[in-house]
Amino acid sequence: MVDIRRISTNRWWNKKNNWGLLIFLSFLFFVRITKGSLYKDFYYLISKPFWPGQFQREVLTKSVEQEFLIRLKQLENDNQRLREILSLQRLSDSETITAIVISRKTGSFWRQIILNKGVKDGVEIGSLVVGPGGLLGRVDNTSLLTSTVKLLTSPESKVGIWVERIQKHGLLVGLGNDYPKVIFYDGDIDIKVGDFVLSSPASTLLPPNIPIGVVQSVDEDLKEKKTANIMLLGKPQAIDWVQILKVKI
Amino acid sequence: MGNYLKKKISLISFLFIPIVYLWDPNWLEFLGVQPYWPLFWLLPWSMIYGSLDGLIIGLFLGLILDSLSLDSSFTQIPGLVLCGIWFGKFSISNNIFVGHFRFGLICSIASFFCGSLYFFHILIKYWSDHTNFLYLPTIKNIFAQVFITGLLAPLICSLLFRLFQISKGRDKLIKFYK
Repeated sequence: MVDIRRISTNRWWNKKNNWGLLIFLSFLFFVRITKGSLYKDFYYLISKPFWPGQFQREVLTKSVEQEFLIRLKQLENDNQRLREILSLQRLSDSETITAIVISRKTGSFWRQIILNKGVKDGVEIGSLVVGPGGLLGRVDNTSLLTSTVKLLTSPESKVGIWVERIQKHGLLVGLGNDYPKVIFYDGDIDIKVGDFVLSSPASTLLPPNIPIGVVQSVDEDLKEKKTANIMLLGKPQAIDWVQILKVKI
Repeated sequence: MGNYLKKKISLISFLFIPIVYLWDPNWLEFLGVQPYWPLFWLLPWSMIYGSLDGLIIGLFLGLILDSLSLDSSFTQIPGLVLCGIWFGKFSISNNIFVGHFRFGLICSIASFFCGSLYFFHILIKYWSDHTNFLYLPTIKNIFAQVFITGLLAPLICSLLFRLFQISKGRDKLIKFYK
């Protein structure tokens, strides 16, 4: 009788610690499966009182002016081009959602921002995120209350770009620092410092002609392809408000 | 309640690592780079509980932090697992000054190791594209992270170390073997 009792009390489910471990492992499994959605939503709730006020926008007026100038120039060029070509891709039927940046990782190799708008607000994976200055990145992950944006500076980011002056396409590659590079697969290209870089009209991911950055320097060391450092117009490390564009390309 | 918190401090602080990782306060950055937060928790915990626990908790930390990062092609798991094993092999120093200095030095080396491992992931992934040489300037990130992690480690690690030592023996929830 004593032995039976001893065996039955030694079963693993009778030990409190094992249940604790099981619950802990289940929690880890849940976090892994939901890709941290629980944490992101919890972070949304606890960081809510510290979200930035509207007046911080004034700090970024300079970037906005720069963006408007580029946009104006681009619209003029577009107008001219539209008279000649009628099959330009659509940007007009985009829907805009304004969001606040609640978490940012803009240093080191991990380059992402988390916004306070998620599935509940209609944010979809693949939507564009634009801040004062220009394009910041694309929504890569959504939870109920938040969405995570992969920045153009992320080592995994690759987007097609268009240099207006020379009418050439290139590939913007994030490197994990503040200055992504453009690769042109044509060594004879005439790229110059100060050229504006816009989203490519041929891109399947982005709508055309969204300002991205300015060529800061051109690397001269390659023959078969040319690379250039880009200074982004949108500064994710300083921006508190962004716009999410739901675009039909 | 206070006694309960004291007992479960390692578990509670573990659950808050992702929150700090997401928060990433910009006033603690050096050259735009923030410290590698998980090491501050992993070092004192592994020193107290040993290499095997360090390995397991390093794996869990890596899984959670990878879930929060968008870079699905790269992982932080190998770095944290190996650091967990390594940290578990350190003995506890009685000298306060040496102990603090050691926390800083160990965290700096570990940060360099994890950063380098992540960096080599990127290089290997883009090896076939012939674009991997473009990523070389990002070595700066590793050194900035080494500096800021080493600078903050003595403060945060020694605080956590003391808290974990107090709760040691009482907190069995995340003790994986006897």
